[in-house]
Amino acid sequence: MIEHEVIIVGAGLAGSWTAMVAGQRGVKDIGVLSKIHPLRSHSGAAQGGIAAALNNARPVAGTGPRGPLEPVPQGEDPPDSPELHMFDTIKGSDWLGDQDAIEIMVNEAPEIIYAYEHMGCVFSRLPDGRIAQRRFGGHSAPRANYAADYTGHVLLHTIHEQALQHGVEFYSEWYCMDLLVEDNVCRGVVAMDVLTGEIHTMRAKAVMFGTGGYGRAFEVTSNAYANTGDGVAIAYNAGVPLMDMEFVQFHPTGLYEHGILMSEACRGEGGYLTNSEDERFMERYAPDKMELAPRDLVSRSEQTEIDEGRGIGPDGKGIYLDLRHLGAEKIKARLPQIRELAIDFVGVDPIDDPIPIQPTAHYSMGGIPTDADGQVIANADGQVIADADGTPVVGFYAAGECACVSVHGANRLGTNSLLEASVFGRRAGHAIADFVQNGAELHPVTGDPAERNRQRVARLMDGAGSESVEAIAQELKQTMTDDCGIYRDKERLAQAMQHVGEMQERFKDARVMDKSKRFNTDVLAAFETEHLLTFSEVIVAGALAREESRGAHYRTDFPKRDDEGWLKHTVAHKGEPGEGPRLSDKGVNIDWDRFPPQERKY
Amino acid sequence: MTTNGSRPRMVTVRVQRFNPDVDEKPYFDEFQVELTPAKTILDALHEIKTAQDGSVTYRRSCRHAICGSCAMYVNGKNILVCNTPLRDKIDEEGTVTIRPLPYLPIIKDLVVDRSSFWEQYERVKPWLIPSADVPEKEFRMSSEEVAALNKAETCIMCGACYSACQVIAMNKRYVGPHALLKAFLRVLDPRDMAPSERLADVGDQDGVFRCHTIFNCIDACPKDLDPTKAIETLRKLAQKRQAFEAARRDRQRMLNEPIASS
Ligand SMILES: Cc1cc2nc3c(=O)[nH]c(=O)nc-3n(C[C@H](O)[C@H](O)[C@H](O)COP(=O)(O)OP(=O)(O)OC[C@H]3O[C@@H](n4cnc5c(N)ncnc54)[C@H](O)[C@@H]3O)c2cc1C
Repeated sequence: MIEHEVIIVGAGLAGSWTAMVAGQRGVKDIGVLSKIHPLRSHSGAAQGGIAAALNNARPVAGTGPRGPLEPVPQGEDPPDSPELHMFDTIKGSDWLGDQDAIEIMVNEAPEIIYAYEHMGCVFSRLPDGRIAQRRFGGHSAPRANYAADYTGHVLLHTIHEQALQHGVEFYSEWYCMDLLVEDNVCRGVVAMDVLTGEIHTMRAKAVMFGTGGYGRAFEVTSNAYANTGDGVAIAYNAGVPLMDMEFVQFHPTGLYEHGILMSEACRGEGGYLTNSEDERFMERYAPDKMELAPRDLVSRSEQTEIDEGRGIGPDGKGIYLDLRHLGAEKIKARLPQIRELAIDFVGVDPIDDPIPIQPTAHYSMGGIPTDADGQVIANADGQVIADADGTPVVGFYAAGECACVSVHGANRLGTNSLLEASVFGRRAGHAIADFVQNGAELHPVTGDPAERNRQRVARLMDGAGSESVEAIAQELKQTMTDDCGIYRDKERLAQAMQHVGEMQERFKDARVMDKSKRFNTDVLAAFETEHLLTFSEVIVAGALAREESRGAHYRTDFPKRDDEGWLKHTVAHKGEPGEGPRLSDKGVNIDWDRFPPQERKY
Repeated sequence: MTTNGSRPRMVTVRVQRFNPDVDEKPYFDEFQVELTPAKTILDALHEIKTAQDGSVTYRRSCRHAICGSCAMYVNGKNILVCNTPLRDKIDEEGTVTIRPLPYLPIIKDLVVDRSSFWEQYERVKPWLIPSADVPEKEFRMSSEEVAALNKAETCIMCGACYSACQVIAMNKRYVGPHALLKAFLRVLDPRDMAPSERLADVGDQDGVFRCHTIFNCIDACPKDLDPTKAIETLRKLAQKRQAFEAARRDRQRMLNEPIASS
């Protein structure tokens, strides 16, 4: 048995901030688990930027929404503000974001950027040495702070390196497979040391999940192999509910046939989207914001073009992203990674030719519900687990993409999630330090949780079944893409619901090929697939129940937003075996005087 | 290359196998994979693992050359398999040979033990040592300073350079190109408060003076970085540390001031 004061699962931006801050606050004994080396975490793949109203850059007056930018001269009125950032985020969220949490995020944003800068992040700069800023979709001011087009990489390395200084113990390549909650009190986790294959019960006074997103449930995705939503599924299995899972963001520009992201910075820097008729079709969907309308809208517009026969590529399922007019110099300076990826993967140099792209599953708005301090909340009314007195899941915290605070509501704006992971990761670090320093205790666990999980592995290795893990995973991804994708309707969702249920049944007979203990990635893939099946059912159930269209969730049979019926979060608890998720709801925090719901037009 | 249009072209992928718990020594397994234009070497491995032999073991995550997981030794060269098209690595016999990064202990198949690599990384104190006295907003940096740091900042710690380095092959006490590149990043960063200590640390016989300037690291780097040049810079700075220290003190006095345009 391993014991720590605090166990953090996940070493992306969220987990690393929590670890660093708790360490700085004097928490002595922190263990951080990551199924891949911390520096391999998917935060490092983020390209475009991190939002904050620093007021360093502004549009040149009179040049319109796509004109050039210039430094804000010292002493002049700041054109941007946290208030404006807040409004943009609320509007982007289609009014489903909780406004109290959004306010905290936008207010702490500038401070977070300066903290990164002081810790050594190499941001791109304006000529006077301040941090450079660019435009991003749905933001009405240039407030994306960036390091060329590898912003996430720079942030992740910086924060990991700072965390190393604080005596944090890293369990690199340890796979968390179970969360231990009894009587609303979190007691620890169960994890496998991938190298040896040994499974350990790990107890802690506080557990934090920063396990990232779950784009891997879809066929075409920008997400890493590792983004299988483990934490979300593990928490759900332990009785913690999930919130707003039906809101999955499809990014408009994944590389054709690969799904690999071409950052929104391409359009932020001025790139065009064109169809097979060489037409900038966004003119018809968002005449004002054009290519810089928010992602849900742009992806749907692309899908409509494709469905109506104006797509490009052999199967007509692509669209062109045209950067040629930006010129070689700008492309090389601002989008070097994009250029490299386009050359490597589709053989196109964006300086000379348009890049073939398609919508790609990208970001998970839903997740483990928390308050603004990372404390996991569980009851429908914002209280904690579904017990009578509504106390929190004591000692359980979450932040980053696996959590749902909710700042993104029905649709996230680009550059807001690196910010979210940082702001709420940091706040969780403080909350955990307070919790531990105010006398939290280690609680006993019933039975032998490690042994229970060893049995799960044994079943995968020794059982008599013959289902292939990969075949089920492929089928699931296809189902989620076809029947629970950009456009949804009742019939297809009902079909998906049934289909996912059947696959869950079949998974009970799944077997792995690799029977060895050492570094068994075949077993890990099986656990990951089981997790995909677990939360996919919740995505579909939420999408089926929500009879309206809001943000990233679009029902062709209910194409309008319905504030009367659906201005509320979906909360899903795990039901009895065979029953499916139990849905309830939770109110949205809205400041009715400042930001009452409006029609969302771009 | 001729095809009759219907018969798929198959490629033989040779994968080095080794599980130290059961195998005495490494051996090769051969797999047949269909060649398609968009297929990367990582796609081929994934296909092999999921459809042919689930025990084939390798690391991967992001799929686009930024997480640093999947550096391997393919047809005699360290590369990332995720961004390398399969078609680019087929030799005259129609074969692609995949082995783990050389000179590192093998954990299983294509997975190597990078412990010494990470130890050296931590040894150079990769974190910036910031001033206790930070401005309210950002430190000011010129675009030239940023450009110089980008040549080290974009390192993804994949280990391709480390495992290609002849000095590392013989002596694991050598700090290595990846960690020296990191040291370079911090030494050249005008915001770092301990460049001089860093130079002293890496300026010894296990550090910059151990590099034999064989340039293997440059050839191996999938991100087109130049650790050798960084090491040379550090070497020069180490030799004239006092002048460097004085220059850094001057720079830091101005670090909160706007950059004057020249
Ligand atoms: C290609 C791409 C580009 C993006 N660009 C931007 C951008 O420009 N701006 C922006 O704001 N956002 C961007 N995003 C979104 C943003 O990167 C993520 O939302 C954010 O980085 C998530 O951080 P995180 O800390 O929550 O999770 P991650 O960084 O994904 O970290 C998850 C961690 O959990 C660990 N983990 C997971 N499961 C387990 C388990 N079972 N056991 C042990 N450890 C586990 C992993 O090892 C990892 O360390 C982008 C996303 C993608 C996919």
